[in-house]
Amino acid sequence: MTIALGLLGLSALGFFTALPYLTASTYLISFFLSVFIAAILAQSYDWVGGHMGYLNLGHASFFGIGAYTFGILLRAGVPIGVSFAAGVLLATAFALLISYPFFRLRGAYFALATFGLVALLELLASNLSGVTGGSEGLTIPTGYRLYDAYYASLVLLTLLVAATAWLARSRLGLALVSIREDEEVAGAFGVNAYAVKCLGLAASAAVAGLAGGLYCWYLTYIIPTTVFGLDAAIGPIVMAMLGGSGTIVGPLLGALVVDVIREVLRLKTPYLALTIYSVMLVLVGLFLPGGLAAPRRWRRLVRSVRTRVA
Amino acid sequence: MDRRTAWLAGYPPCGWGILRGAQPPSEVSVETLLQLLIGGVLQGGIYALGAFGLSIIFGVLRVLNVAHGDYLMLGGMVTYWLYTTWALPPFAALLVVFPLFFVGGLLVERWLIRPIAGMPHQEFLVASILITLGISLAIEDVTAFALTQPIKGIDYFLPPFRAGTVVISSLRLIFLGIIVALTVGIHLFLRRSFMGKALRAVMEDREGAMLVGINIQTTAAVAFGLGTALAATAGVFFITLIPVDPHIGIPLTLKYLAIIVLGGVGNLPGSLAGSVVLGLSESLVSYYAGAEWSLTVAFVILIAILLLRPRGLLGA
Repeated sequence: MTIALGLLGLSALGFFTALPYLTASTYLISFFLSVFIAAILAQSYDWVGGHMGYLNLGHASFFGIGAYTFGILLRAGVPIGVSFAAGVLLATAFALLISYPFFRLRGAYFALATFGLVALLELLASNLSGVTGGSEGLTIPTGYRLYDAYYASLVLLTLLVAATAWLARSRLGLALVSIREDEEVAGAFGVNAYAVKCLGLAASAAVAGLAGGLYCWYLTYIIPTTVFGLDAAIGPIVMAMLGGSGTIVGPLLGALVVDVIREVLRLKTPYLALTIYSVMLVLVGLFLPGGLAAPRRWRRLVRSVRTRVA
Repeated sequence: MDRRTAWLAGYPPCGWGILRGAQPPSEVSVETLLQLLIGGVLQGGIYALGAFGLSIIFGVLRVLNVAHGDYLMLGGMVTYWLYTTWALPPFAALLVVFPLFFVGGLLVERWLIRPIAGMPHQEFLVASILITLGISLAIEDVTAFALTQPIKGIDYFLPPFRAGTVVISSLRLIFLGIIVALTVGIHLFLRRSFMGKALRAVMEDREGAMLVGINIQTTAAVAFGLGTALAATAGVFFITLIPVDPHIGIPLTLKYLAIIVLGGVGNLPGSLAGSVVLGLSESLVSYYAGAEWSLTVAFVILIAILLLRPRGLLGA
C-alpha cells in the first residue's frame, strides 16, 4: 500500500513536472497552480488541524500575513528573497504570539476563536488603508510569472509532502498525534505538550506565510477578501477534511476534488455555488467525517447502504 | 437629519472614525450618555438572548453551533417579511418567529445533529463543525440569492419618551422590558420546570442524567429548538433597530463566543453580564471610533479574558 502510494506520488510528480511541455493551455497550468497552492495550505493546515487535532480555522491569517508582508516590502523596493523571508518570519512570529492565549482554549472554542482571528485581520487590512491599500487592494510590479510560480509551488508542495511523510514516522509526529488523542496522557508520558503545540503551529504558519508570498507574487494584486475572506479561511480546512484529515494523501486529494468541483460549479451555475459547496460539507460531516481517504468509513457506508437496500 | 440626530432618534450607531482623522463630537451631554447607555444595554440584551441559546446548545449537545448567528439573521428577515407583507408590527412578529424557529431547531437537530451523536470524540467535533458551518454558509448564500436588495431594515417608530429635556426612544425601552421578561422566563424555566431541570442536569453530568432516567434525545431536541428560537427572537429586535444583511451571521457567532468565554460556559448570569459588557463597549466604540471597529471590541475582550481569566469573569 505504502509503496504503491509512493510510486503513484512519484509518477504524479513526473507528470506535473512535464505538464508545461505537454500542453500549451495556460488555463490548465494556472488551474493546477491554484490546486497546488490550495494543497499547500490544506497540508500545512492539517499538521495542526489533523495530526494535532486542534481545529485551526484561522489558518488563512498566516497566509494573509505572508501575502501582505511580501507585497508591502516588495513594493517598497526590498529584494524579493528578503521579502519572502520576511513574510515567513512574520507569519511564524504571529503564530508564536497567539499561541500563548489561544492554546488555553480547546476543541470547538479554539476553532471559533481562531476563526475570529481571520475576521479581525480582514478588518484591519481593510481599515488600515495607509499600509495595506485598504479594500482597494495592494498591487506589486507585474510580470509574466505563470511558469515560475507553477514550478515554485510544485517544489514547495513536494517538499511539504515529503515533510509530512517524515512527520508521520518521527517522534514529533507521534507527539502531535498523542496530543490529539489525549493531551493529559501525552503529558504524563513526558511529551511537552505546550512546546509541541507551539512548534506545530509555528511550522504550519511558516509554510502558509510562504504560500501567501507566492500567491501575492503570482497574482501581483491582493485585496483583504482574497487572502482573509471566508473562502480563503474555510477552503483549506474543507479540503483537508474532505480528503481525510491526519493523513498524507487526504489534503492533496481534497484540494484536487474541491478545486475541480468548484471550477465546474463556476462554469455551470453562476448562482448558489456556495450553497452546493455547503451541502457537500454537510454530507461529508454526516457520512464521511474521516474524509474520502478513510477506507474503513467507506466500507461501513457501503455496508449500511447494502443492509438498508436488502 | 445629521448623524447625531439620526443616532439619537434610535438609528444605527454611526461613527466619526477617529482613526481616520475625523473629529469626535465635541459636546457629550447627559442625553448622549444616557442614549449610549440604553443603546449599549439593549444591544447587550439582544446579544444575551443569542448567547443563552448558544450556551444551552453547547452545554447539552457539546456542539458549537457555527450557524447560530444566521438564525438571528433569518429571524430578522422573517420579521421584515411579516412587516412588509402583512404589516405585522415587531411585537406580533415575536409570536410567529419564536414557535417557527423552535420547530426549525427541532428539525435541524433531528436530521443533522442526532445522526452524528454517537461518533467518537474527535470525529464528532469535526463532523459538528462541518455540518453547522455548512448550514451557516447555505443559509447565508440562499438568503443573499433570494433577496434582490440584500440590506433590510424596518422603519417602525413609536413616539419618543420625554423626561424634561431628555428624549429617549420608547421602542428601545419596550424592547429592553421584553428582553428582561424573556430572561426571567428562561431563568424560571431552567430552575422550576422539569424539562429545565433536565437540561441543567445534562449540562452538569451527561452520564449521571442518563442514570436517573432523563431522556437525552428529548432534552437535546428541546435545547436545540430553544436555542434556535432565542437567537431568532433576538433577530426581531435586531432588525427593528439596525438594518440586517445576509452576511452578519458568522461575525455574530464570534461575538456570542466572546460573550460565553467572558461569562463562563453554561453560566446564564455570566452570559448576561458578558453581553451587557460587550454591548456597552461596542456602543461607546461605535460612537467614538466608528461602527466598522465594533467587531474588534468583541475580539479584544476575548483575547483579554483569555490572557487574564481563562475561565471567564464569573465562571467557576
